[in-house]
Amino acid sequence: MSVVSILQVMHDSEFGTALRESLYMFPLIEGIHLIGLALSVGLIIVTDLRLIGGFLKEVPVAEVLKQLRPWLLVGFLITFVTGILLLWAEGPRMWAIPVFPIKLILIVLAGLNAIWFEYKYGKTVHEWGTHIHFPKGAKLAGWVSLVSWSAVVICGRLIPYLEATQH
Amino acid sequence: MSTESIFKELQNSSLSQSISQLDSIAGAFAQLFHIAGFLLILTAVLLVNLRLVGLGLNRQTIPHLAKVTKPLVIYGLVLLLFSGLFTFLPSATLYYPNPAFWLKIYLFGFALVVQFTLYRKVTSVESPNRILAGLTAILSLTLWFGVAFAGRAIGFLN
Repeated sequence: MSVVSILQVMHDSEFGTALRESLYMFPLIEGIHLIGLALSVGLIIVTDLRLIGGFLKEVPVAEVLKQLRPWLLVGFLITFVTGILLLWAEGPRMWAIPVFPIKLILIVLAGLNAIWFEYKYGKTVHEWGTHIHFPKGAKLAGWVSLVSWSAVVICGRLIPYLEATQH
Repeated sequence: MSTESIFKELQNSSLSQSISQLDSIAGAFAQLFHIAGFLLILTAVLLVNLRLVGLGLNRQTIPHLAKVTKPLVIYGLVLLLFSGLFTFLPSATLYYPNPAFWLKIYLFGFALVVQFTLYRKVTSVESPNRILAGLTAILSLTLWFGVAFAGRAIGFLN
């Protein structure tokens, strides 16, 4: 079964149709998806900037990670769930816009980068986080995360824009 | 002169005409700068408000956090205003009847007033009154997130 046919089944389902045709639900979900970004991507970018030494330099990196992680995860959950709902309602149309698959690939890349960072540096952050110079790999993870999440936002904003210009 | 005729004048101005003659890629860039501006403001305000209610970066003083996030708010506002005007001017009459546009403008105005009065005052002291700090955080977040939400709703009501 191809991606398009799965998306078409979701689109044609009773739930997908109800979401799409609801006067308030679809805009509401899209609005929540957008503002969830401030919690998820916004705070991820704050931690990335801390890792690369561009923001909150005086705050220990372990503290930034520990204190912002719960909010960041809540934001990510909101963005992820609302994203799935939007896909459920409008999957085939979104898939036809070239930036959408690119957005998904970038999210996977950013996710793998986060897992790699946690595995390699997450447990020892209290040690290296107190040094002036962080390990190169940790800084690289910060850069990869910063670039990939910024690109996710750019692709995400281009979806409705390209959709509107296509019709 | 009615508001509607002012909007018509704005749309017919030479600046608006010049913008509307630009390639559509310029419009896409304006949208991207607009969302970047919002993200800068929302993230900065969120960081400080979480601290105000004792739920994030608690080892940092409130005035210090407010100080380091202030440039983000200012850059965010500059991006928002320029990209917003760039999008608004060539289609001013399209925005005029849109209730979400007016909601966004009112919320934005109110958010700015709160940002440069109450929020500034509360975040200038190390230990503000807890109730006042909590109320400020709720008001500030509701207004800024409301602006973003109303902004997205414009596209649905056009």
